[in-house]
Amino acid sequence: MDFPEAKMELGLVKIHKSVISSIASLAAMEVEGVKKIGKNNVFGELLKGKPYRNIKVIIDKNGEIKLNIPLIIKYGFNIPEVALQVQNNVRLALQNMVNLEAKEINIDIKGIERS
Amino acid sequence: MRLFTILGIIFYTTVISLVGVIFILTAFNLLPLNLINLWSDYLHTNLQAKIVVGGIGLLLILISISFAELILGKIQREKTIAFNNPSGQVTISLSAVEDLIVRLLRSISDIKDVKPNVIATKKGIEIDLRISLRSETNIPELTMSLQDTLRNKIQEILGIEEPITIRVHVVKIISKEEKESSIKKEEPPIPFRGYGKI
Repeated sequence: MDFPEAKMELGLVKIHKSVISSIASLAAMEVEGVKKIGKNNVFGELLKGKPYRNIKVIIDKNGEIKLNIPLIIKYGFNIPEVALQVQNNVRLALQNMVNLEAKEINIDIKGIERS
Repeated sequence: MRLFTILGIIFYTTVISLVGVIFILTAFNLLPLNLINLWSDYLHTNLQAKIVVGGIGLLLILISISFAELILGKIQREKTIAFNNPSGQVTISLSAVEDLIVRLLRSISDIKDVKPNVIATKKGIEIDLRISLRSETNIPELTMSLQDTLRNKIQEILGIEEPITIRVHVVKIISKEEKESSIKKEEPPIPFRGYGKI
């Protein structure tokens, strides 16, 4: 399955994966302590372009959504706390904006902000 | 070491040694030319031989790819520290821990340079530090306080309870003269020197 679907009275509403990753990206960036989404290298950034493209959205056969979010954390913040806040914020944002319940929101801390 | 890794190493050693032996035999003319011709003729004419040799080649490629994937996957798996939250898994890349160590140690004035290497094992986290120090510093005191503060900070920031082993290796001690000369070199040239207000 590529798109989560919702049947409305007038027809079918499909939500593209990039919409989910954009919402997740914005929600993650709202959390204090998150520097950016993606890896700590310039080459990767050039290839990937927009930050939400670094977020991997997996939708399985049952329509359950898994997100993998790579993050760079600001120096001085408690990593488990920031990760938990990101997970909660992303979950809430997906519920509010697209009525979707993410099964897993996996956080991958790729680096600490370089001075 | 796992059985599959041992088998893989034995397999590759045998295949590469065999290739090496064939090259040596060819170089010293020990492999008769007519035997090579005979073998290539046989391969070109016999369909069964072609299928068998082609199949072996394909199998070798597949084994190589799966072996490489296994090793790379194993390396990638080992390069993170992971813990679970109710919403999903959190993995911390070891390079992130290395970045953190560099940031923490840069604040200590006695340390000129630091190169950390972090390894996550079943027993806990092992950190190897290669540091360059300034000559005036008391090394035992500094390294002891460094190990303590680093251990506490990492446990606090990463929120992990596993034991952390920190090995410090002092690779260079920078003398005062060296330090002064490096400072002098760093001084930027003053533009328009000598000009004054009339």
